[in-house]
Amino acid sequence: MDSIFFLSFVAVLITFPVFCTGDTCLSPVVTPQVYSTSEASLTSETAVIIEFSLTCKNHLKDLNLYADFNGKTFPVSRVQETNRYQVSWSEAHKKLPSGKYAVQFFDEEGYTNLRKAQRSTEDDASNIKSLFTIDVTHQGATSGAWVQTEFIAVSVSFLIWYLAYNTRCKLQK
Amino acid sequence: MQSTACLAVLLGLVCFVASAGNENARLLASKTILNNFLVEGKDLTVEYNIYNVGGSAAISVQLADASFPETDFEVVRGNTNVKWARIAPGSNVSHIVVLRPLKSGYFNFTSADISYVASEQSEEPQMAYTSSPGEGGIMNYKDYDRKFSPHVLDWAAFGVMTLPSLGIPFLLWYSSKSKYEQIKTKSG
Repeated sequence: MDSIFFLSFVAVLITFPVFCTGDTCLSPVVTPQVYSTSEASLTSETAVIIEFSLTCKNHLKDLNLYADFNGKTFPVSRVQETNRYQVSWSEAHKKLPSGKYAVQFFDEEGYTNLRKAQRSTEDDASNIKSLFTIDVTHQGATSGAWVQTEFIAVSVSFLIWYLAYNTRCKLQK
Repeated sequence: MQSTACLAVLLGLVCFVASAGNENARLLASKTILNNFLVEGKDLTVEYNIYNVGGSAAISVQLADASFPETDFEVVRGNTNVKWARIAPGSNVSHIVVLRPLKSGYFNFTSADISYVASEQSEEPQMAYTSSPGEGGIMNYKDYDRKFSPHVLDWAAFGVMTLPSLGIPFLLWYSSKSKYEQIKTKSG
């Protein structure tokens, strides 16, 4: 009897860490929706919005997440009573050229490790494992055509006039 | 029109000091419109910035903006009602919502509401407001297009219309020229 009790106690001890991982989201499934400014003439800065819904295998909700983008960390906001989250920031148009960017997401524990690594010179912050990563494909904020169409129209008409005038001069010789 | 749109980009700070002492969290919040022009049917970017200038973290910070009626604005991306679990002292968070104005005309951009718990001990949520960007003129899409679009189609149409008046005389001249040259080479 005693041995059975002991064995079950050992079994509980072994499986305990598995249940204790309740704080970290296990195998997160993320469905992101990304927005980035496309028309530079309209806004003074490029805005990036990442909205995502997150479901964890262990049914965790209301997580405190942090996003890391190029060494800058932002706390992720929650949309109330849903499993949706949002992180957004703005940057000067020139600082965010078109391209693909990876935004890493951390939970509380990962964020603390990241902060520690960022503060110390020895640890490399890129070694900290993120919970998941969302790729942002920024098309680039374009500020219209490189040359104005009016300019093209004027130069084309001048070219036509020049060709015609040149030919007439040749004929009159 | 442009200057009124610029007015909307006014950044002001409305501070709401919670209570005396540096121990509690104190949030300053601004609401800014990042647009140079407000155009009907085009993206309107609204940015909220919340700074914690207090001595402790602000807990369960909620930002709610009910100033964009559904009849006038459509949300493209972002949420107008969000929550942060905590904002650390000395740090700031930004939040952006992209909307699309459905109507042109003047619109008064008012402030958003913020509520937060100022310290671990206190239970009562603290209410605050963001700054309000003020009144801005939303441009009619047609007016905007007339002013700022590259008019590629218009210029192409202009080119096609000028083609007969240039092309017909050129062709007449060219055919007579080639005929004359043929005769010249034959006789020569």
